[in-house]
Amino acid sequence: MRVKRLQPMAARARRRYVEAMFQVLGRALQAVSEVDANVQGEARVLPAGFMFEMKVMPRGSALVVEHTGEGRFRYHGSSAPKPVNLSIQFKHLAHAFLVLSFQEKTSVAFAHDRMLVDGDISHAVRMTRILNRLEAFILPRVIASRAVKQYPANLHLPEKLLSGAKIYLNVANQFVHAVRA
Amino acid sequence: MPSYYEFFCPVKVIAGKAALEHIPYELSGLGASRPLLITDQGVRAAGLLDPVMAACDEGGLRIVTIYDKVPPDSSTTVVRDIAAIYRAEHCDSIIAVGGGSSIDTAKAVNILVSEGGEDIAAYSGAGILKRALKPFFAVPTTAGTGSEVTSIAVITDTEKSVKLPFTSPFLLPNAAIIDPRMTLTLPPQITAATAMDAMTHAIEAFTGMAKNPLSDAYATAAIQKISGALLTVMAEPKNATARLELAQASTMAGIAFSNSMVGLVHALGHATGALCHLPHGLCMSLYLPYALEYNLESIREPLGELLLYLEGADTYAATPPIRRAEAAISAIRRLRDELYQRCRLPRTLEETGKVTRSQLNTIARRALDDGAIIFNPKEVTYEDAIAVLERAWHQPHPVA
Ligand SMILES: [Fe+2]
Repeated sequence: MRVKRLQPMAARARRRYVEAMFQVLGRALQAVSEVDANVQGEARVLPAGFMFEMKVMPRGSALVVEHTGEGRFRYHGSSAPKPVNLSIQFKHLAHAFLVLSFQEKTSVAFAHDRMLVDGDISHAVRMTRILNRLEAFILPRVIASRAVKQYPANLHLPEKLLSGAKIYLNVANQFVHAVRA
Repeated sequence: MPSYYEFFCPVKVIAGKAALEHIPYELSGLGASRPLLITDQGVRAAGLLDPVMAACDEGGLRIVTIYDKVPPDSSTTVVRDIAAIYRAEHCDSIIAVGGGSSIDTAKAVNILVSEGGEDIAAYSGAGILKRALKPFFAVPTTAGTGSEVTSIAVITDTEKSVKLPFTSPFLLPNAAIIDPRMTLTLPPQITAATAMDAMTHAIEAFTGMAKNPLSDAYATAAIQKISGALLTVMAEPKNATARLELAQASTMAGIAFSNSMVGLVHALGHATGALCHLPHGLCMSLYLPYALEYNLESIREPLGELLLYLEGADTYAATPPIRRAEAAISAIRRLRDELYQRCRLPRTLEETGKVTRSQLNTIARRALDDGAIIFNPKEVTYEDAIAVLERAWHQPHPVA
């Protein structure tokens, strides 16, 4: 039997995908928090100045957003300007890829021990709900229902705001199929 | 079937007749000889320390000192005080005798005496500990919490009035000693409430998002034992065989949920317990059927399977597959009605007399912030939580 070696191309592509996806999510999080009352309601409970980070262990890509108050988020790119309050860390790039390519729901990834939470659990619960809501916004319905436990019924958001993200995601989606195959 | 799972339980289970008498041998096997015993006033008053002390004495093991003032909600100050005693008395191991609070306290004390320092808050969180702690045994005196096999401890920070969680595989005791003598005198209502806590652990583990074949095996066996033994114990409190069945079931359910997590019942129960000062087991019994009804369409298949363990093969076989999940919930309701008859264990929020309708909003909001909600098989919104609470408020069936 021939031993299939890990293709460095695929690994690199996966890394780039996760990086790009973090950027999409970060920007979308900021955008959605400016218009969606539901996300604002969830986020408002977080302290102002609250730093949230999602990253890949051990030193991989990261996504940092700050709750600036009133339910609004600001995207900080991949590094935090001050100590983070809550960090959700994927144990491996492959696990981040599973979640960010919507093959595994965030809650399932928690159930599968794919991620570690460093910080207040109640804040992690809240951020998970916000990310679920976000995924429902930026993903085509068929993919979103795979990514979140329930697809929310009440989504109202200016289409143009998120169309950019959606176009990007179409590309990403084709990429997922190519990499998965 | 999950596409991926993890399962871990390195606790040696020492269970059955004369189990306490194994403590001296087991402790010496870990190279320890100067244990500190941690317990509470209730345990001491019930005379439960006597068999433990006698077993150690006869076995040539001297308990160096006893701390017997663990409060029901243990705090950072208590942990610091006990650690100071441990150090002053040059102890080399810990034996916790009690319910969830004593065992959780002992876990936290073990962090301080092993890692050093005075401030337990510095170790709060997950994955902070990187090496094994001092030898530690747990002797549960309630059959419910499962703390003897869980890698988590919750301690209240009295100054900041927050609950600090500690999670690490190193918090697990080296051994859990399950001796029927320790639960023989447990009063009826506490017996019932703690058994329903264990039942809830098993059912939420089996129907939750992180269920897996190994935890399923523990969960189903636990449910079968509780269904078989609980009413026997209620009728004959001194029945040692049935008591041991409940105690083992509690440990098995603990192993199941510490690997598969819990869900909505616990999220609502944690919020209610903290706000209304109701015992944890009682809260579990209160919410169990209503939360299962809420989750029903997401858990129909696994819940239906549980009918076999709740009611036995004949009922299971006689119930059409599409009715089994509902039949399982009915079985739980009947068990609660029976417990209400025997010891007045409340079935609704109203029956507790300690919850007001105006508190439901707060309970719902806090439940949504509870970590257990992540693993509930169905998404829960604030409105959903309120709807479950409204159902749990009032008994929808004729009161027996
Ligand atoms: Fe519990």
